[in-house]
Amino acid sequence: MKEKTHVSVTKLFAATPLVLGLALGAANVNASECGAVTIASMNWASAELLAEVDKFILQNGYDCDASVVLGDTVPTLTSMAEKGKPDVAPESWTSLRPPITQKNIAEGKLLIASKSLTEGGVQGIYIPKFIVDEHPEIKTIADALKHPELFPDPEDPSKGAWSAGQQGWGGTVIASQYYKAYNAESAGFNLVDTGSAAGHDGSLIRAYERKKGWIGYYWDPTSLLGKYEMVRLSSGTAYDEAEWNRCNKVEKCPDPKPNEWPSDEVNTIVTKSFADRSGPAYEYLKTRSWPNALVSQMLAWMADNQATGEDGAKEFLKKHPDVWGKWVSPEASEKIKSAL
Amino acid sequence: MSWFNEFPHMEDDSLRALKQTIDEGFRSFTRGYGDSIESFFAPLQKFLLLSERLMTQTPWPIIVLMILAIAWAASRSMKVVLGTLFTLLAIGYLDMWDDSMRTISMIFVCTVLSIVMGLPIGILMARSERFQRVVNPILDVMQTMPSFVYLIPVVMLLGIGRVPGLIAVVIYAIPPMIRMTNLGIRLVDKDVLEAADAFGSSHWQKLKNVQLPLALPTIMAGINQTIMMALAMVVIASMIGVQGLGQPVLKAIANQYFTLGIFNGLAIVGIAIIFDRVSQAYGQRLQKHREIVHG
Repeated sequence: MKEKTHVSVTKLFAATPLVLGLALGAANVNASECGAVTIASMNWASAELLAEVDKFILQNGYDCDASVVLGDTVPTLTSMAEKGKPDVAPESWTSLRPPITQKNIAEGKLLIASKSLTEGGVQGIYIPKFIVDEHPEIKTIADALKHPELFPDPEDPSKGAWSAGQQGWGGTVIASQYYKAYNAESAGFNLVDTGSAAGHDGSLIRAYERKKGWIGYYWDPTSLLGKYEMVRLSSGTAYDEAEWNRCNKVEKCPDPKPNEWPSDEVNTIVTKSFADRSGPAYEYLKTRSWPNALVSQMLAWMADNQATGEDGAKEFLKKHPDVWGKWVSPEASEKIKSAL
Repeated sequence: MSWFNEFPHMEDDSLRALKQTIDEGFRSFTRGYGDSIESFFAPLQKFLLLSERLMTQTPWPIIVLMILAIAWAASRSMKVVLGTLFTLLAIGYLDMWDDSMRTISMIFVCTVLSIVMGLPIGILMARSERFQRVVNPILDVMQTMPSFVYLIPVVMLLGIGRVPGLIAVVIYAIPPMIRMTNLGIRLVDKDVLEAADAFGSSHWQKLKNVQLPLALPTIMAGINQTIMMALAMVVIASMIGVQGLGQPVLKAIANQYFTLGIFNGLAIVGIAIIFDRVSQAYGQRLQKHREIVHG
């Protein structure tokens, strides 16, 4: 008992956050080996879950002083390149990255450690499933745009609402360009800026609970799509990469054309200094990758049980040792199991 | 000793069940009453749309003249009017006119609503100790509760857009109006009230002819604070889809567009200073008026 207290006190002096210090008090930790690692949790559920999984594994398996910080893609990646903090961005979607990050990766300031989602992320324009059931003729974005009355704008019911998302999401830019590409304005739709993640989800939930239509940007895997069944509309065309890069993802480009939204590579990105100093921990991040179906399953569990990312991480580690067992060394695996 | 090191908390399962029950209850409430609550707020939405259309669709020179006329009527100070003119021209020249007009329209509606609701509540509070004891903690909650906590249920009930934004702003901005009205009326000299009683004034006459005029400078300070707090909420409101200066600010934050953020931030500050100087100057003129009458 006395020795445990001693450990937690030294940890406190090592400028560890108080809570972490107490939580780690019981574990036999030598934090100097791996050092302090900050993991960026993005403001969507799958990234939060993965950040917590990484935190638990790094902390207990690799003796790191891991902590999680909240952030959005662009500010987080910019800060990683400019300041070297946070160290790890576990779930970075290619299409959401600003151009400067690609440059930073090419320069070697940032490193791509692994594919976080094995199949990559799916994004696109979604509508509720019950709308498709009632109107089976709706298959593509162009079909849906023929029916503004099915997707009423709460502020102006004579028009439809095209919910593009919040400012700052890469997906919002693309969804707004789609709005132009498919002439949604002349089809009788308003372009709605939903302001924030809470506003975006709230507008979808509100419409769904009242059996009203909703059309807009969404992505998979998410718990929301587990709870509210949505259908991704096809673009009606094939993917044209040159055109996509020229106009579909460029804000304010005046003449976007219909184009297929490609599925996205989702990577774990780390800073150069992290890769240099923490060998085994970096090795772990290089092998870590999980399938979308498992992520959705975990997210649905989290939503059903009102669990935080931390609870979700523990549940995952308890239930699926076969999955994460392949990511870590046998020695680390033992440590993690005993910590659970 | 585990209870000593770790706070004994409710069992995980029961806590989860509690949260789930409350959530489920709220969800069925949304399903059941969402539409009727929405139609209850429909007139407010019409008012908001009307005011916004007036501000954005009227040609800019007319709006500028209108605002300058109001500034002159309220302050009678050339300095304030020139400052207002300069700020408006700068905002327009830097291409923030439409967003600024949307924000001003929103702030205008919020302030009117805060005054209409806050004044009677403040008067009631000044009259009844018991009512004051009930209302004060509610005002504390309104001023300190993080806005997103009550925005989640509001968005689920009313969707995103102007009305939920208005509710968020009014909840935050109305407390100073209520508190200052209450304070102003309570600070009215007891001797003056006794004199009014001696002349046989009714309650209504006393309120209308004695208490409110004497409390007016304090109430004006309350209105001033209400406007300032409403402006402070502009960015939060834009997080649930309210159009205006908040949206470019959010965009600037998300994309690290430093200049865009500064410009729009300064536009909010500029509007705040206009509102502040004009309403303060008006309050001071009211006070002068009082000095002449009673001095």
